[in-house]
Amino acid sequence: MGRREKRLARFRRKIGKRWGHAVQLEVRDDVLFLTGLVPEWLAKVALGHGAGKLGFRGVVNDIQVSGVSEPSMSLPLENDNSLEGKRYDVVIIGGGIIGCAVARELSRKNLKIGVLEKESDLAMQASGRNDGMIHPGFAPHPGTRKAHYNVRGNQMYDQWSQELGFSLKRPGSIVLFRSWFSIFLVPLIRLRCSLNGVAGKYKYLSPRAVRAMEPHVSAQQRGGFFLPSAGIVSPFDVTLALAENAVENGVDFHLETAVMAMEMSHQQIQGLQTNRGCIEAKVVVNAAGVWADVVAQMADDRFFSLHGRKGTDAILDKETGARQTRIMAMPPLVRRKSIQTKGGGIVPCVEGNLLLGPTAQEVPDREDYSTDAGEFSHLVRQLDLNSRLSASQIINYYSGVRAASWDEDFIIEPSQKVKNLVHAAAIQSPGLASAPAIGADVAAMAVQALERCGYGVEERENFQPYHHAQVPVKDLPEEERSALIAKDSTYGEILCRCEEVSRGEVRDALRSLVPALTVDGVKRRTRSGAGRCHGGFCLSRVMKVMAEEMGVPLTQIRKKDGQSQILVGETKGGVSPSGRAS
Amino acid sequence: MKCDVAVIGSGPAGMAASESASLAGASVCLIEREERMGGVLKQCVHDGFGLFRFGEKLTGPEYAWRYAQKVRALPVDFMGSTYLKTVKKRETSFLLELVNSTHGVFSLEARTLVTAMGCRERTDRQIFLHGERPAGVFTAGQAQHFINIRGLMPGRRCVILGSGDIGLIMARRLTLEGAEVEGVYEVGERCSGLPRNVAQCLEDYDIPLHLRSTVRTIHGRERVEAVTVAQLDEEGHPLNGTERRIECDALILSVGLIPENDLLAPLEPEMDPVTRGPVVDQWGQTSVPGLFSCGNALQVYDLVDHVSESGHRAGKAAALLAEQSLATRAPRIPIHAQDFASYIVPQLLQCPSSEMVSMAFRPKTPIEKASLRIVQDGQDLVCQTLHWLRPAEMQNLPLDLSQANPQGPGLEFHLEQVMP
Repeated sequence: MGRREKRLARFRRKIGKRWGHAVQLEVRDDVLFLTGLVPEWLAKVALGHGAGKLGFRGVVNDIQVSGVSEPSMSLPLENDNSLEGKRYDVVIIGGGIIGCAVARELSRKNLKIGVLEKESDLAMQASGRNDGMIHPGFAPHPGTRKAHYNVRGNQMYDQWSQELGFSLKRPGSIVLFRSWFSIFLVPLIRLRCSLNGVAGKYKYLSPRAVRAMEPHVSAQQRGGFFLPSAGIVSPFDVTLALAENAVENGVDFHLETAVMAMEMSHQQIQGLQTNRGCIEAKVVVNAAGVWADVVAQMADDRFFSLHGRKGTDAILDKETGARQTRIMAMPPLVRRKSIQTKGGGIVPCVEGNLLLGPTAQEVPDREDYSTDAGEFSHLVRQLDLNSRLSASQIINYYSGVRAASWDEDFIIEPSQKVKNLVHAAAIQSPGLASAPAIGADVAAMAVQALERCGYGVEERENFQPYHHAQVPVKDLPEEERSALIAKDSTYGEILCRCEEVSRGEVRDALRSLVPALTVDGVKRRTRSGAGRCHGGFCLSRVMKVMAEEMGVPLTQIRKKDGQSQILVGETKGGVSPSGRAS
Repeated sequence: MKCDVAVIGSGPAGMAASESASLAGASVCLIEREERMGGVLKQCVHDGFGLFRFGEKLTGPEYAWRYAQKVRALPVDFMGSTYLKTVKKRETSFLLELVNSTHGVFSLEARTLVTAMGCRERTDRQIFLHGERPAGVFTAGQAQHFINIRGLMPGRRCVILGSGDIGLIMARRLTLEGAEVEGVYEVGERCSGLPRNVAQCLEDYDIPLHLRSTVRTIHGRERVEAVTVAQLDEEGHPLNGTERRIECDALILSVGLIPENDLLAPLEPEMDPVTRGPVVDQWGQTSVPGLFSCGNALQVYDLVDHVSESGHRAGKAAALLAEQSLATRAPRIPIHAQDFASYIVPQLLQCPSSEMVSMAFRPKTPIEKASLRIVQDGQDLVCQTLHWLRPAEMQNLPLDLSQANPQGPGLEFHLEQVMP
């Protein structure tokens, strides 16, 4: 009996003892299937993680939890036939950072590419709901796909930033030690860094050296380890820049378009049934984030299942930005099994704020973006890392849900079963850091799949790698800004005074290559409403510009996707002349 | 560009400051980020403004219009739709970096500066509200703007969290516009708005006020579908079993105002942690020579008339200082709030003070009968008896402090409870 079989037998005995016949397992095609019924969610999670350690190609955890329903994918409201009969060489399912990276990479080839995103904007799920950190690659276990892609991706960010014009900073991160004996772990940390190939001159820091780098660091620290290659970006800006550059190279983006079923024949995907009609595709890339297993199921290739792990982040007022320059975290370096780790730290943002987070909480609902007081109280404890921060400086907080597989590694491979399908699934942290490397590999896999299916692939002659990202007008040099205002006076009309955003910039966001459709979309593109007053002053002005640009009444302006109209109708007296969109 | 006095903000404080500075002979620039003067008054269509300043009950827009007329009649340079980017202090002046559509980025040098930026509303994030994040959560000011300026409704069935005056006024406004207001929920044990607003805005319309209660969770992914409310114990923790889900389509927040002084940070004026405004003397001059503060940026007032009054004082003093006829180096002695006074504005007294000093304060708790004493070095300068003080009602009293000794120690502002 091989080692894996021994481990499986031990696992089988263990669950038999604990759960009897309530939980069953079965191995098919090197995939472990778990079924049965347990009383609570965390029991299901523990079983899945146990199965994930056995070394199978995949784990499908279909255990039910009594009293807990796992909500299915939310779908757009629209139902039309606008995309019926559309034909693409490659269709990418998912407009997160991975989908957009693959699209941009594939646009180097002379292919017709479509990206389908079910939400009303790009990067609406995990891609836009994280801490913006480009991890150095020391955390993943050596030999995992995470370690491989993280380190490579980290290094590719410089070129991405140059070509795509988003802002990238490399402040470095300090892993703080909480006890003096952590110094004995330093050789192990070094070894892991070298095994993973972490870039930069990483080094041990004495408590005094930490204090010299970060004067306001907590007195609790006992030295730390500095990783200079750690970077920060705005994850939405990166995703949008990738998408807009892809559009510049001929890629189509379809928002509020969800794949609901696939037409299969001879182990190949023939067509994708969406809420906007049926789309034909020669090759399909599954970059569907938390729903990648559902998409795999549509192609009858469900060899893994995902579970959601929610993380909450908080943003501090810009005034705190000067109080810390590097990323700081104090993770438990020796992991204790019994305690669910609450990682996270304090991360500077490219916009100048500081960010706390993220926490980690297993959730049955993969689109549960609510926050709660319990998780929040964990998050707020991160403030202790810096003596000059307090909870009263928090201006915002939000949650995201990680798409985790049961072995907690990425799934990046061509389907073994379906000839024209490539999976880029289970991309959780450090997915943002890994995205450039994943994008390049998955694009190459898609090209191979096309060739396997008998299609020739040529280079695009006029591929344009450079994207002109819009610099916030407030950051322009004084003369350039005045000249711009002289040319177009709307750039001198400040709508959002916390973030100094002009009317012209709001209008541009509504006319861009992947335009904003919602108030939140405008906010993500321009930062109007992202400041300390939280839109208290600018919301109505931004809505007015939107109504004018989109040619709809103010009552139709939505905050986000679905039926999220901000206003419900007119007053008794009706709309005043200033409220009517003309 | 140059001027004697620059006034930032053209609400009731900024308009009054511009008027008085101009009447005192200074050249005045009034900078406003909106198109027109008036500030938040433009959307306050209810009445009750102007009893002290105009001797009659006016609506917000009427009050704003009357004041704007007074300013327009004077040689005040009004710059609307103009954004103030930064303020820098020079040796004897201030340099303002401004942006607007006509001039692009430009600068203005002013000998003295009156800041009247008003305040902003606290948001759901600042009171750590949790749950989903749908459309339909508004600050009371936002809701007021949508209804009164745009003629559009923020919701049809509303829950109001916080009992600030704007929240109470919006409860009435929403009801008059046909919406249902399920109730007003207040974390504290007392209503934070004025008693007259409780009577006229809630009681007259049978809108319940729930004290020691709060909204715990917001429900609804796209638009607000419901909120969960709960009662709180003495320490502010939710009481088990009191949670109640209320179906609604809007949550309106009236949970406090924050004076807007972020622009002042680079000038580093001394700030009062209670009022969140700068520490000032009776003219509104801060610890930075030549920098004045007035209106809601200085402290959150209850009555617009008092806002204008503080603007009037600051504007006049700024004009006199710009002409060097007001001493910058005159001795200033501190005034400390004691006992039941939660704060006192001004926090400094410039001596000698021949004019009556207008002193604003709030009691920490309701007091039926109180004695107010201002003491210097063991000597009573002022001794008065006051009745029916409430935290929700600011006291604004003209007091004679001409006897204060400029070389003496600080003044103690005592507010004590007297058993009736």
